[in-house]
Amino acid sequence: MAEDSNRDTLPGMGPLQEALRALLPRTKEELKLDLSENVHRSVLILLQQATNLFYEGRRSECLQTTEALLDYSWEKLNTGVWRDVDKDWRRVYSFSCLLKTMCLCETPGDATTVAAALKVCDMGLLMGAAILGDILSKVAAILQTHLLSGKRPAQGPAQEQPGIKKARNGHTSIPDTRSEEAVPRLHCPSLQYFRKHYLVPQRPVILEGVADHWPCMKKWSLEYIQEIAGCRTVPVEVGSRYTDEDWSQRLMTVNEFISRYILNEPKDIGYLAQHQLFDQIPELKQDIGVPDYCCLGDGEEEEITINAWFGPPGTVSPLHQDPQQNFLVQVLGRKYIRLYSPQESEALYPHDTHLLHNTSQVGPSMTFQLLPHPTPFLESRQMASLAFFRSTWRILTWRSSPGLLRPHSCPASCLLEKSCSSRLNIGIMCKPWT
Amino acid sequence: MAEERRGSWFGFGFCGFGQALGSGRGRQVTSPEPLRAAGTDAEVCSVSASWSYTAFLSRERSGPIPPGPAPTCPRLLLSWLPAPAGAGQVQLSGSARGAAEGCRDAWASETLLVVLRDGRGPGAGAELQAWAPGSALCGEPLWAQTVVPEAQREDREDGEGDGTRARPLPLLPGARAYVSPLSPLYRPLAPELRARRLELGTEHALLLDEAGQVYSWGGGRHGQLGHGTLEAEPEPRLLEALQGLPMAEVAAGGWHSVCVSETGDVYTWGWNESGQLALPTRSLAEDRETVTGETTGLSGHGPGVTGTTGDEGGAPASCIALQPFPALLDLPLGSDAVKASCGSRHTAVVTSKYGQLGHGDTTSRDWPCRVEYFVDKQLQAVAVSCGPWNTYVYAVQRETS
Repeated sequence: MAEDSNRDTLPGMGPLQEALRALLPRTKEELKLDLSENVHRSVLILLQQATNLFYEGRRSECLQTTEALLDYSWEKLNTGVWRDVDKDWRRVYSFSCLLKTMCLCETPGDATTVAAALKVCDMGLLMGAAILGDILSKVAAILQTHLLSGKRPAQGPAQEQPGIKKARNGHTSIPDTRSEEAVPRLHCPSLQYFRKHYLVPQRPVILEGVADHWPCMKKWSLEYIQEIAGCRTVPVEVGSRYTDEDWSQRLMTVNEFISRYILNEPKDIGYLAQHQLFDQIPELKQDIGVPDYCCLGDGEEEEITINAWFGPPGTVSPLHQDPQQNFLVQVLGRKYIRLYSPQESEALYPHDTHLLHNTSQVGPSMTFQLLPHPTPFLESRQMASLAFFRSTWRILTWRSSPGLLRPHSCPASCLLEKSCSSRLNIGIMCKPWT
Repeated sequence: MAEERRGSWFGFGFCGFGQALGSGRGRQVTSPEPLRAAGTDAEVCSVSASWSYTAFLSRERSGPIPPGPAPTCPRLLLSWLPAPAGAGQVQLSGSARGAAEGCRDAWASETLLVVLRDGRGPGAGAELQAWAPGSALCGEPLWAQTVVPEAQREDREDGEGDGTRARPLPLLPGARAYVSPLSPLYRPLAPELRARRLELGTEHALLLDEAGQVYSWGGGRHGQLGHGTLEAEPEPRLLEALQGLPMAEVAAGGWHSVCVSETGDVYTWGWNESGQLALPTRSLAEDRETVTGETTGLSGHGPGVTGTTGDEGGAPASCIALQPFPALLDLPLGSDAVKASCGSRHTAVVTSKYGQLGHGDTTSRDWPCRVEYFVDKQLQAVAVSCGPWNTYVYAVQRETS
């Protein structure tokens, strides 16, 4: 039994396995779990056992043990409010995903096995917390490269930019945009001007020319996104609006999402909403920038969250309010947004439940009759412009493009925080509105 | 002959920490197996299972079986069997080991093992102790409190100390308080609640009172409180949907709740992600579709998905993710329920990744399925106690007619 059998190239151990092994510490003693006392002793025992089994090459036993760890930590992740879940439980989940991913890739497998491993890895990235120097991101990058090198991106029949064949919902007519009520537009104002005239007095504005040179403006298309991120697993919201009873969240790959909810005349509304896609897929992050205006908030720069919004046309986001100040760049497609000032809050009838506390009960068609005051609105187009709204404004989105700024209903309690950090929203819609 | 009517315990499900569960081979047991006897003189009278270990409470063998035929109704059968009297021994099996004498009751969780022990010294009240599971019941408990003697006397007066009337942990003698695995450990209860039984889920609590009414409180995001909303309740709140229907049993799982009425009806509510409410669940409906090849995976999903749930030609089953109101179940063969117990994601048998359903496989099920092992062996199940991922059943040999 060669002592270094773990490190030498075994027969059948291809470049994938070598690359993955190189990310891990050489010996099991060097793998530090670093978990606090909040994690049950029994779980630590099992995790140590799983690690030992992996380093000893006992793959199927390791898989069985990590399965138990995944299920148990999953229960912890589902206990209570998400933001109160102890980060160490999320680390346990990540460790389990890491070991399972490694085990799945140990034997030379086909693309299906590697895709399954990438799915597990993505689960660790979505629900877990960073471990071992963010090793899961590195694992994902290796797996993705391996998958892409093996095949060409699937080309459907002339999927370039399909025009709308028929109106999806007959009643989503877009109201007239009278210019005197439109949100003002400025071309690259100075940071001081922006702060003085818009940030502090909480007024919405459109800043033009800010994102002109971002690579995404030229590079992004459906094919590009499928190529770069197609095999990655993302959370998708299914259902017309999050106030509906049959609204739900599901996990699927980007390819599945595009195939089921963007192309092929989808029967349901599916929306990749408010997801920190760019943390999960750094390759896409390279195509966007972070405008300096985002750093003017009261929070630290690290607190800027970057969300992606990617979906089909014809949906409506209910009127709601977000705790953070928001910046939106619409990369592809078109969106109609209606804003109401804080002074008009009383007329907006928020829900009285905890989960929907920030959402109005008033539907879009009703608002035009109920509110007599002229209300500013804006129409966001693919024009590399940056739209800004302060947190106290109420926002209604009328989608011919993806909905804007809809809060995540899962960790709903965090909506009530008085957060002053900024949020950058990148919108993509794949069917142009003619 | 009389010996045959004594029952014995069987276990199945997850045993990845080597907790006693039948033969204890491997990490899970998918079909019921008899528990190995703890000792020849002692009889296991109750089981409390946590995720990684199980606590067995055993006592000396009790008196002779009364003459005459045994009742066939399970509820009567349990009270007919002579219950062991006095204190017994707690034995731990799994990630926690050790044993202790002089125990009346035990309740196991990952962070705490709670034991109700006879007081030290004559005339002393019973003592409630909370131990770290890893301590093997040696040294000092993390926390201890003497039970007020009046409370104990009340309990003895209420019932004759047989299994059906005593108030099991986590409810404390006297029903003035209960113990929780999370701080604060000792939690008072309003005396007007007249609690008979209390069960704790991961985020919620259920209480059954003397009149058979059910109360719930705690987190409610998965509908586990049964009040029809997803809101939390800070204080015990009466389940209005069940008002006036006397309940005999309550059980709390991870995020779901079950109760059994005195007439044998079963009600479930809460999270149904693995079918633990015995209601159709989307994840299993989708699995069935994949297996039978009914869809290419691109057609729409949503309420109205037809799975092969067994009613061929019936209306498409609506899949249920959360059930915030109690739902009445139809048990197969028109049977009546007597006991119920809940694990994290299963109900005296509904979901099954670790074999905790006892059907010999690891498939989840979202409809009630009889455990055929007991039928095949002519055993009558009398009591059931679920750990988070496993199940223990107490069964008695049927009389052959």
